[in-house]
Amino acid sequence: MKRTLSLFLVVLLLAGSAFAAGKTEAVKAEGPVELTFWHAMGGVNGEAIAHMVDQFNKQYEGKIHVTYEFQGTYDDEFAKIQASGGNYPCDVMQVYDIGTRYLIDSGWTLPVQKYIDKDKYDISQIEPNIAAYYTVEGTLHSMPFNSSTPLLYYNKTAFDEAGIKKVPTSFEEIYEVAAKLKQYNPDGSVKRYGFGMGNYGWFFEQWIGKQGLHYVNNNNGRGDAYATAVDFDRNGGGVKIMRVWDKVLKEDIAPYLNRGNNDAKAAFIAGNIAITLESTAALKSLLLNVGDKFEIGVGYFPKIDKNDVGGVSVGGGSLWMMNTGDTRREDASWEFLKFMISPDMQAYWNMMTGYFPITVKAAETDVFKQNIAKYPQFQVAIDQLHSSAPQYAGALLSVFSESRKIVEDYTERLANREGTPESAVEGMARDINRAITNYNLVNY
Amino acid sequence: MKQTLVRRHQFQTLRRLLLNIPLMVVILIPLLYTLSISVMQPDEIYTNRLIPSSVSFENYVRALTGSYYNFPRMILNSFIVSTSVMLGQMVTCSLAAFAFSFLEFKGKRVLFLAVLATMMVPGEVTIIANYLTMLRWGWLDSYRALTFPFLTSAMGIFLLRQYYLTFAKELYEAAKLDGCSNIRFMGSIVVPLSRPALGALGAYVFLNTWNQYMWPLLVTNSRHYRTVQVGISMLYDIDAYSLGLMMAGVIIVIVPSLSIFVFMNKQLIHGLMAGAVKG
Repeated sequence: MKRTLSLFLVVLLLAGSAFAAGKTEAVKAEGPVELTFWHAMGGVNGEAIAHMVDQFNKQYEGKIHVTYEFQGTYDDEFAKIQASGGNYPCDVMQVYDIGTRYLIDSGWTLPVQKYIDKDKYDISQIEPNIAAYYTVEGTLHSMPFNSSTPLLYYNKTAFDEAGIKKVPTSFEEIYEVAAKLKQYNPDGSVKRYGFGMGNYGWFFEQWIGKQGLHYVNNNNGRGDAYATAVDFDRNGGGVKIMRVWDKVLKEDIAPYLNRGNNDAKAAFIAGNIAITLESTAALKSLLLNVGDKFEIGVGYFPKIDKNDVGGVSVGGGSLWMMNTGDTRREDASWEFLKFMISPDMQAYWNMMTGYFPITVKAAETDVFKQNIAKYPQFQVAIDQLHSSAPQYAGALLSVFSESRKIVEDYTERLANREGTPESAVEGMARDINRAITNYNLVNY
Repeated sequence: MKQTLVRRHQFQTLRRLLLNIPLMVVILIPLLYTLSISVMQPDEIYTNRLIPSSVSFENYVRALTGSYYNFPRMILNSFIVSTSVMLGQMVTCSLAAFAFSFLEFKGKRVLFLAVLATMMVPGEVTIIANYLTMLRWGWLDSYRALTFPFLTSAMGIFLLRQYYLTFAKELYEAAKLDGCSNIRFMGSIVVPLSRPALGALGAYVFLNTWNQYMWPLLVTNSRHYRTVQVGISMLYDIDAYSLGLMMAGVIIVIVPSLSIFVFMNKQLIHGLMAGAVKG
């Protein structure tokens, strides 16, 4: 038994080295251009990417061949590109929204604007409110790809039972509606809360934009200079948001549902909260998980104050072209980007994932029309995006992932009854400013 | 007399069962719940249900046969990598430990301290430097990159050295007097006697390598060299995840490592008893 085992293991080892040796690294000068595409989409979304790339390879057979490579979560993928420095392990890369400033500063990438100008590509085909996020000083740096905005999701069945007709659009209305939706167990404990939201830094950023304010200085980090400090502590936007958190938790309007969105999502699906906040991209998985238990309705992401004028900005990711210095590969990358944002592909992408179709013309495709007929809720998301404006595109900041964590930290402390809304915003501003200063000292 | 003995024995067995079954349930529940979620319909998952109303293997079929995920290949990769690392460490660590415990040479203490000092450096510190080394050597995307940095470990050397130190020095001296070479002494005396320690090291190293995530993710790009833990993360997406599919992936990944462990466990106990009798 032992002998067979060791024999088996030796064979495995040999097989392993044979596999390793069998790999050819030679790059042929002739034949199709080989491109590598890094992405960070798991599950259904990853399957959709695979399908789209396969379609591309079929269409460009003999000319361009793209290999897609999954690189873990957005954070993992970003850490990997940071680690490899300027060694360009890929030609096209999907990066999350908050990595935008870092990549612009790095100099590793080519602005897609270069090819838009060269190719005379009609930029009006791209949704202006989505393109605005990735545009700095009139230059579109990366190609929008998977874009989402936050939405308000509600339990329509519970709304009907409570006789609520109007979907809340601001927190004043949420307080009112949530009181009607709250249900108690016979022993006095809460059976269902009217409202609940995850402690997610993205929402904080969105509410700043909803108030029409800036998150950081220097025109929200989009001016000719990079951001040097946060702005939400000075313009009063931060305190208003934290007062909402404070009120919601102190008056038991909503339970504290931890960081991120997973707990809020689970509570909503289980029917333990009747209103929640989530990304548009979560619509499909929510519908699937809720099934026939209740009907899901959606509304605009709520305003902090009913008189706020502002809009939502997109989150998600975009496709970056790496500055490989090899014109042949860069030209091929541009062809690939154009294919990925073509109306047919975007309609398919939207149907499979719930991200916005970033191309205006996708709305004319049959795939899209069928999808909207099946999920009418999605129309609300599109209306919300159209009602926003490019000036609310959101901030650009090189230390965004860190600052998001800081915001969540202080929100959590407030939830634990530590400090006041004012002291929380003060702490956030202090910590984020320190991170910004450190980054700027090292990098500029 | 005999009857009371039997009764007492039965009583003890009963007591042990009564104590162990609840413990087992507590430990196994997360695993069983994982299994249960993986065969549930999606709309059942969030209903506080422990047992699915109907069993569906759709998630398994999707994970195992979907060309996008390619789990069979990833399991094979993980198996090759974990086994190579395990065998590599068993060989290098036992040889080094032999030198550090039986041989006398100049600078032995300093060298051993230097080896121990590497234990104080957390892996996260060296991961980027190691990655850059692999990049320069052009080793990315190969089994070499996945195995080479782990072929020896200070922990393994330390563990085996401590074990070898318990052997009587006279054993080595007697063997030497009889003209036994170091290699033969290793092969016919040290290794058989240290089977429990070697087995423990092997099982530990195998599982550790099997569970690696960050390193395989960094040094591999193509799907041909990806390992299982990266595979599980392929099932997850921040905006759209299917719990059932993820849990099916977890079960698929646990089964091979668990069966290896069960097998190793038997070896372990066998080795332990052999050592005990020989004293």
